[in-house]
Amino acid sequence: MTSASITHDLYFAHPPERVWRALTDREAIARWLMPNDFEPRVGHHFTFQTTPMPALNFDGVCHAEVTACEPPRLLAYTWVGGALHTLVTYCLEPEGDGTRLHFEHSGFDLSDPIQQASYRGLQGWNPSLDVALRREVDALAAEV
Amino acid sequence: MQDDQQPEVFAAIAHPMRRRMLDLLAERERPVHDLARHFGVSRPAVSQHLRILLTAGLVEEQRRGRERVYRLTPQPLAQIHTWLAHYERFWPQRLQRLGDYLDAEEAEEEHS
Repeated sequence: MTSASITHDLYFAHPPERVWRALTDREAIARWLMPNDFEPRVGHHFTFQTTPMPALNFDGVCHAEVTACEPPRLLAYTWVGGALHTLVTYCLEPEGDGTRLHFEHSGFDLSDPIQQASYRGLQGWNPSLDVALRREVDALAAEV
Repeated sequence: MQDDQQPEVFAAIAHPMRRRMLDLLAERERPVHDLARHFGVSRPAVSQHLRILLTAGLVEEQRRGRERVYRLTPQPLAQIHTWLAHYERFWPQRLQRLGDYLDAEEAEEEHS
């Protein structure tokens, strides 16, 4: 595996309240991310319309549930589609006149819903162990 | 590989011991007793994990004399790699758009 999660660290020259609105306003989300029926409250179920990927047995509909909503600091939702069961997290921190965004899309190595209950026990595919395997997978992916 | 195999692949690699087995088999093919000596569990437990890997299409089994030898067949893992690769391209693009959106929104307010 390349990694079990995708992380990005970005600075925006806008205050956290404004960034928060862009992350949680339905129309704003549609402008930068995807069409959606988001609501900023924990437990809300919503969907994103994305590109179908037949090779992955994925119809293009991402099912999501808000798992954390603490304006203007923390937003997290599950991101479920096909056999994928992952989590998207936005963490906002004021920095000067702007905002530091810590973004993470995690869970790529434990995506089977049956295994969700064991989520905590499954953290981390020890990177020191998987070098040979990763080489195999990278080689395969290059062929695709 | 078949699409319906995919959930089994995810379940198969969710267990740390099975991931370790795959790592060992990525180095070279190994008979059961060779695999078993890396784990502090019974031979039947090892065989059970190997069966799950077999079902997921991640290993192949060959009988040699009295032994069963296992070999890594990692093709199904390429699917997971494909997911990850997709989102590794997707997010930088979208987060860039988030920044552009914020800048545009501010510019609009200044003009109005």
